[in-house]
Amino acid sequence: MRKYVVIYRSVLMENLQYTVNIAMGFISYFFIIFVFINLWDYMYAAPGDLIAGYTKEQMIWYVMITEMIWFGARSTTIRQQVPTDIRGGNIAYLVNKPYWYPLYILAKYTGEWNIQLPMYAVLTTVIGVTMVGAVPNFHPVTLLAAVPCIVLGVTIHGMFKICISMLSFWIEDSNPFQWLYDKLILVVGTIFPVEIFPASLHPILKLTPIYTVCYGPAKLIVDFSVEKYLEILLAQVLYLAIGCGIMCLLYEKGGRKLYVNGG
Amino acid sequence: MKVIEAEELSKHFLVKQKEKGMKGSIKAIFCPQTEEIKAVDKVSFGVEEGEVLAFIGPNGAGKSTTIKMLTGILYPDGGRVEVLGIDPVKKRKQLAYQIGTVFGQKEQLWTHLTPYDNFRFFGAIYDLSGGETEKRIAELADIFELADFINTPVRNLSLGQRIRCEIAASLIHKPKVLFLDEPTIGLDPVVKENIRMLIRQMNRELHTTIFLTSHDIGDIEKLCKRIVIVNSGQIVMDDSMEHLKYHYLNKKIVEVKLQEETELPPMEGITIRKRKGRHVRFEVDTSVMKINDALRSVDAEHVEDINISNIPLENIIMEIYQSEGRADGL
Repeated sequence: MRKYVVIYRSVLMENLQYTVNIAMGFISYFFIIFVFINLWDYMYAAPGDLIAGYTKEQMIWYVMITEMIWFGARSTTIRQQVPTDIRGGNIAYLVNKPYWYPLYILAKYTGEWNIQLPMYAVLTTVIGVTMVGAVPNFHPVTLLAAVPCIVLGVTIHGMFKICISMLSFWIEDSNPFQWLYDKLILVVGTIFPVEIFPASLHPILKLTPIYTVCYGPAKLIVDFSVEKYLEILLAQVLYLAIGCGIMCLLYEKGGRKLYVNGG
Repeated sequence: MKVIEAEELSKHFLVKQKEKGMKGSIKAIFCPQTEEIKAVDKVSFGVEEGEVLAFIGPNGAGKSTTIKMLTGILYPDGGRVEVLGIDPVKKRKQLAYQIGTVFGQKEQLWTHLTPYDNFRFFGAIYDLSGGETEKRIAELADIFELADFINTPVRNLSLGQRIRCEIAASLIHKPKVLFLDEPTIGLDPVVKENIRMLIRQMNRELHTTIFLTSHDIGDIEKLCKRIVIVNSGQIVMDDSMEHLKYHYLNKKIVEVKLQEETELPPMEGITIRKRKGRHVRFEVDTSVMKINDALRSVDAEHVEDINISNIPLENIIMEIYQSEGRADGL
């Protein structure tokens, strides 16, 4: 395991040089949040109104937290490097080292989001406190439960993105599948909470990664309950196990199909 | 003791084919066509411990594919392969601890890190302890003379410095076999010579088995005692360097620029290849005539410029391949 810690640390060292680049993403984040603050201001006609069980403050904080996870977990490694490695044949020069390629990528990805996510967390807190106010009924102890869920959610997200990228072993371009996955997460779980959608869709949505990646962690911060926490944690553990299995299978099967261009 | 053994090793690729133009592109969607390419076709050879072997051939001959099968990167379609008694297909990770690889056209170092940080990184990857890694870095820095730039980010190094670091990084875990795929590509002659010297030194001092592919005849001549030539996925020659030199490198190309047009006297062992005005190019068969005897045939007082070179490797490969082809009745 030490080698993966070293890979993680090396990426961390590398990414620390790019904190200014990461900070440039704050502009898009701020713009999106500004739009949503105004949108929900308009939608909530009177103070104390509830939409899908959320107060205005809860709703805006929900969007801010899911966007924070979304922006913080952005990674060129899992989205671009894996398909490029596979299609261009560069993977050949990575798999002949004594590490397991999917874990190598996961360690790199962790090194990336470990810099980005805390930066976005600070920005979210500053924007939230100054423009929206504190989260209603929020207790800091909640974070002890929510932070591990965010970590698990981001890891599950990375694992599924790696799985989609590994489809490049079979197809020319995995980008359409990345696009579908991204849009599903963005529209269904990030911009709007699951409760906004018809009740008949809830069981289906609970079976998708949306529930574990962004909805679950954000829900715990804006409206914590032990029951919800255990439910989300269980779903995340299951998703982690399933994702891990799919990743192993795809890599094992795909590796045998490896075609290396240029010799 | 053999450290590499390949028997009837084969690898085929299915390559997509498309007819030209828009019609071909549309047809390819509904009726995709593929062609089977035999990249490596029933290749058998062995490499002894401590040997420096040149595995050469023209582009697309199957050299890199063979290396990739030997290192466990690609799965063979047929045959058997063992490196240090390990099956690369079944135990790639276990084998990775025993071998090192340098691909001249691909960088394995992390460019934003310094060579020192990279060596620490590779030390950890190969499960070396901190103390072991430090000791090894000191040894390699000494052998490869890295002290001046060991703390400079790799992206700021010259190509020669980077290749030295690449080779050093591939040796951090003391591999028993080192696969070098065109290690001197793109380097200037001075740096090439340094790299060759280091490879020789490494083979002599650490007794590392070297499996080298290169298009540079200098690499092959100066490093290898045995040469395997592949073409179209098959071995067309497997012989000692001495034998190759005796049979194929016994010809030199002499290019002379004379002050005035002069006829060269016909001599056994000299074949005029080209004559244009005051420029003459002739081939000397050194098994028939010594090169200095051949030069005496040219009036030294009238020589303005002279250049002596070996026959290019590509020509030798072509000659060997063609002769093998003829022998096989191809």
